[in-house]
Amino acid sequence: MGAVQLSHEVIDTQLVDRHQEKIGRIDELLIELEDGKPPRVATIVIGGAARARRVGRWMLACHRAVHALFGQREEHASHVPFGAVRCIADTIEIDVDGDTLDSMHLEHWLATRVICPIPGASGERK
Amino acid sequence: MKKWGELALGVVTSIGGFLEVGSIATSAQGGAEFGYQLAWVLLLGTLSLAMLMEMTGRLAAVSKRTYADLLRERFGYRFFVLPLVAVFVVSLLVLASEIGGVAIALQMATGVAFRWWAIPIALLGWLLLWRGNFSIVEQGTAMLGLVAISFAVGALVLHPTWPTLGRALLPSLPSHDRARYWYIAISILGASISPYLYLFYSAGAIEDEWTIEHLSVNRVTAVFGNVFGGGLAIAALVTAALVFAPREIKVDRYEQIALLLATPLGRAGFVFFVMTLFITCFGATLEIVLAMAYLLAQGFGWNWSENLKPGKDARFSTSYTVLLLLAALPIVLGMDPLSLTNISMVVTAASLPVTVIPLFVLMNDGDLLDTHVNGWPSNLALVVIALISIVLLVAALPLQLLGGG
Repeated sequence: MGAVQLSHEVIDTQLVDRHQEKIGRIDELLIELEDGKPPRVATIVIGGAARARRVGRWMLACHRAVHALFGQREEHASHVPFGAVRCIADTIEIDVDGDTLDSMHLEHWLATRVICPIPGASGERK
Repeated sequence: MKKWGELALGVVTSIGGFLEVGSIATSAQGGAEFGYQLAWVLLLGTLSLAMLMEMTGRLAAVSKRTYADLLRERFGYRFFVLPLVAVFVVSLLVLASEIGGVAIALQMATGVAFRWWAIPIALLGWLLLWRGNFSIVEQGTAMLGLVAISFAVGALVLHPTWPTLGRALLPSLPSHDRARYWYIAISILGASISPYLYLFYSAGAIEDEWTIEHLSVNRVTAVFGNVFGGGLAIAALVTAALVFAPREIKVDRYEQIALLLATPLGRAGFVFFVMTLFITCFGATLEIVLAMAYLLAQGFGWNWSENLKPGKDARFSTSYTVLLLLAALPIVLGMDPLSLTNISMVVTAASLPVTVIPLFVLMNDGDLLDTHVNGWPSNLALVVIALISIVLLVAALPLQLLGGG
């Protein structure tokens, strides 16, 4: 047991799901404030808007403009309870199935609609 | 025995990886206009790249993370945007130049105009990435790239004056065309120390599953591979100095560079030049586009590996597909490959601080490297490279304007 520095060892760290598949990085951490209770780290956010907000308003505007360009109205971001964290090391393992995360929307869309119809795309290793 | 095999392979890979369109073009221009005098810049570029590759390789082998991973993790997304954008823009330009180099080689071989070759080259590159694994990309093109040794043969046939060349390995000031001299010097450094080279090398260490056991392989690969590769670039400069400089030929078209080997080696020299240009530029095309896809995937935490089937890392494989087609566009539109090469080498030189300076912090992080952190000689070398990179950033644009014409 020991202390973990949120800014140094948690934010921006590679996330893997329960199958050890890479599912993004921690783009934002939300702290929950409830009356009468101490603040606690409650939620991991994975998503482009959260990332863009950290750079500045101009980046967020760019992010929204790109989304609008591709006709996307909603942001595909994932909010995962911090309690799902199983291990904090070189990567952070969370107890979820990556396939169910909204932030993996683009990966799945590209895989099923664009990549896999091309011969030679399916399977595990080359 | 396996380790010696890896070692030999690593050295060969680095030789093949060093020489590409940028180093061929800038070395030829340097030799044509200033004789042996710019050889010291090639030596400086070679040693700098060797240091940077050794460090990023060591970082990956010990920390089990790539340089791009750590740029995001240790410096945060806010900072990461800077190297991401800089390396991306620069690498896209260099990628277009490499596709241009392959296209020019095919134009020389067939007589069909270079712009018609850009899309077929992009598609061939894509097919190799789609079907092949990391070893094929890394070793296949590198082995074939050994044809570049013809530059050394060309230089030896012309009997260079060794004492003059030896003196040119020490820095000296030009007696004429000062702006042009420094412009070509910056282009040579941009061609030698491209960020894609060490980003690709660092990702390759993870693809090849390097551990602490591989640190000696890393050191020998980085140092000897680059020294041999840099030696071939010096050979190209020497040949240009002996072929072009006496005739006062200024290199402003790739077709002229073909004379480099045709003069000492005749028709075979022409064939060797075309083969070298084709293979080294094609190899660099694959490495650059992979380095860019790695940078995106590692920075954003996507699944990535050239050893996985494309369906398993859809965003990664979509990235290299789109980037190849995007980079082919300037060549399809008829942009002059040599001008594109010159511009991209200068821009590359200007982009170096954002990837060189953070390395200093990472290479001294005991949490990442334990006992393998930099010693004072490596830190001193890195400070010198960082200072050079800052000078390049400041001087690149003025010299492009004053000496680029």
